[in-house]
Amino acid sequence: MRFALSVFILLFSINALAAGPLIRLGRGFAAEEQLWLMTARPDLTPNQGKRYELKQILFQANPERFQAYLAGELDAGTAPGLAIIFGRAQGMDFKIVAGVCQEAAGGQYFTTVYMVKDDGPIKTIKDLKGGTIGVVGIRTATDLWARAGLLNAGLAPDRDTKVVPMAFPVIGDAVRTGKVSAGVFVEPFYSAEMAKGGLRKLFTATEVLGYDHELLDIFFSEKFLKAHPDAVRAFLADYVAVTKYYLGNTAQAKTDLHKAGFVRTPLPAYLKTSDWKRDPNARVDVGSLKKLSQFMLDKLQWLEKPVNVDGMVDLSYLPR
Amino acid sequence: MSRALPFLLVGIVLAIWETAAQSGRWSPLLFPSLTRIANELILFFTNSATLLEAWVSLTRALGGFALAAAVGILLGLLMGRSKLVAGLLDPLFSGTYAVPKLALFPIFIFVFGIGSLAKVALVFLECLYPIVIMTYAGARIVNRTLLWSAQNMGASRAAILRRVVIPATAPFIFAGFRVAVPVAMIVVVITEMVASADGLGYLVIYALSSLRTDRMLAVVVVIAALGYALDKAVVLARDRLIYWEKLDTYYV
Repeated sequence: MRFALSVFILLFSINALAAGPLIRLGRGFAAEEQLWLMTARPDLTPNQGKRYELKQILFQANPERFQAYLAGELDAGTAPGLAIIFGRAQGMDFKIVAGVCQEAAGGQYFTTVYMVKDDGPIKTIKDLKGGTIGVVGIRTATDLWARAGLLNAGLAPDRDTKVVPMAFPVIGDAVRTGKVSAGVFVEPFYSAEMAKGGLRKLFTATEVLGYDHELLDIFFSEKFLKAHPDAVRAFLADYVAVTKYYLGNTAQAKTDLHKAGFVRTPLPAYLKTSDWKRDPNARVDVGSLKKLSQFMLDKLQWLEKPVNVDGMVDLSYLPR
Repeated sequence: MSRALPFLLVGIVLAIWETAAQSGRWSPLLFPSLTRIANELILFFTNSATLLEAWVSLTRALGGFALAAAVGILLGLLMGRSKLVAGLLDPLFSGTYAVPKLALFPIFIFVFGIGSLAKVALVFLECLYPIVIMTYAGARIVNRTLLWSAQNMGASRAAILRRVVIPATAPFIFAGFRVAVPVAMIVVVITEMVASADGLGYLVIYALSSLRTDRMLAVVVVIAALGYALDKAVVLARDRLIYWEKLDTYYV
């Protein structure tokens, strides 16, 4: 009996060691297709289950994800570049190790759009004076772009134009019924609202900032990076492989994600939606993060002191 | 000694908090020390902009509560004194009491807009239920001897209502108020967290999004203090207006 138990413990330990450390990764619900595909299609990730284990945990918003991270419940996660800048400004010990997607100009990519009523009086951003813009959260990327647009037009956010948080699904009707003057739209809501009609573009995220920039990145805790560098390298090797697969076989990948329940949009509509720019090698545009950080500090006063962007990005774990 | 007990309890809780925060076991971003929260509280009370946000939330909460009080007392009295009205409204209130009205907030936004009106309307709806139900219960069990005595002395229906029913129901009305007042604060803060560009709920979300738990907790302390002050105001009004009733339970 004792011998059998010892053999079982030994085998269990060998198996646990062979599987590698568990990566507890906090994810969101939009624009992270290649990451979701790692769970939906594990056959595309040869290192998973051997050199690392992956557990993806869904979070609705960044603050909750960061709180779970601070409580020691996560080793890694996805977050917008500006949220990671906020975190670093407060002394959080994580580093960006790879990119997920970017806001980029060009017809082939999707970039976040702010729309108004098609037959309404608002023709330019200046016409938003005295009005309201619907965004998905305070101090989120959608809030930043709205404020950038207002500042470009010479308007003072909050004083000249209110910025209010709303859920994506209700923004379309809120704009149509005049409850807000303008609202932010991402896929798949953008395509769905365009199909309904009655709305038109006022500005995009890339237009108001004037440059392509990071939208979502992957971060790891410094502690985990130090303790399990090989597991992180193996994870990122798989991640890059899956990203390349996703870019080369987008329709199939989207179908697989839909089948696995990661996406609730009807499949025909999901297949038609345009996509954000994704770097096939998951590289991060550090220059754009620096510009964002400077903008948050100088124009928005969202930061109390400058953030060392170079110190918060470490791309050495990516495949060479 | 008995007066000092609540303060002693609060002191013990604060001491445990500070010891835990100073232990370094948890990130100060998640579990800030009392000193940091106190600093944020000082900043809150020395900044006119944040005081204005508190005023915005307070007016929304009190506006919705006042409307609910006016309508709730009227409906509760009618239900308590009229079998027909009770038969009509009781199933409606009983059947919908458990519905989380906050889930209806998106509809309120579409009907009343994204400003204060939607929030006041939801506060009104949430506060209406406890006030109606308590008033109804109180109006139903008015002492019959009192009613008969008033009738025998030739009092009109209006006089009976004014001199007998309302005073007898008043303790129940105030009990409903004490339930409704904190509900008003809770609802207003949550609705401001969901969709607002001002108010204490907005400040909570703003602080959370900035990873400033110390600032968020300072706002929570302000919300708690406002709730406490409003409850004390209701108790004070009750003790002044219905001085003949001893509502509190005293332990001997």
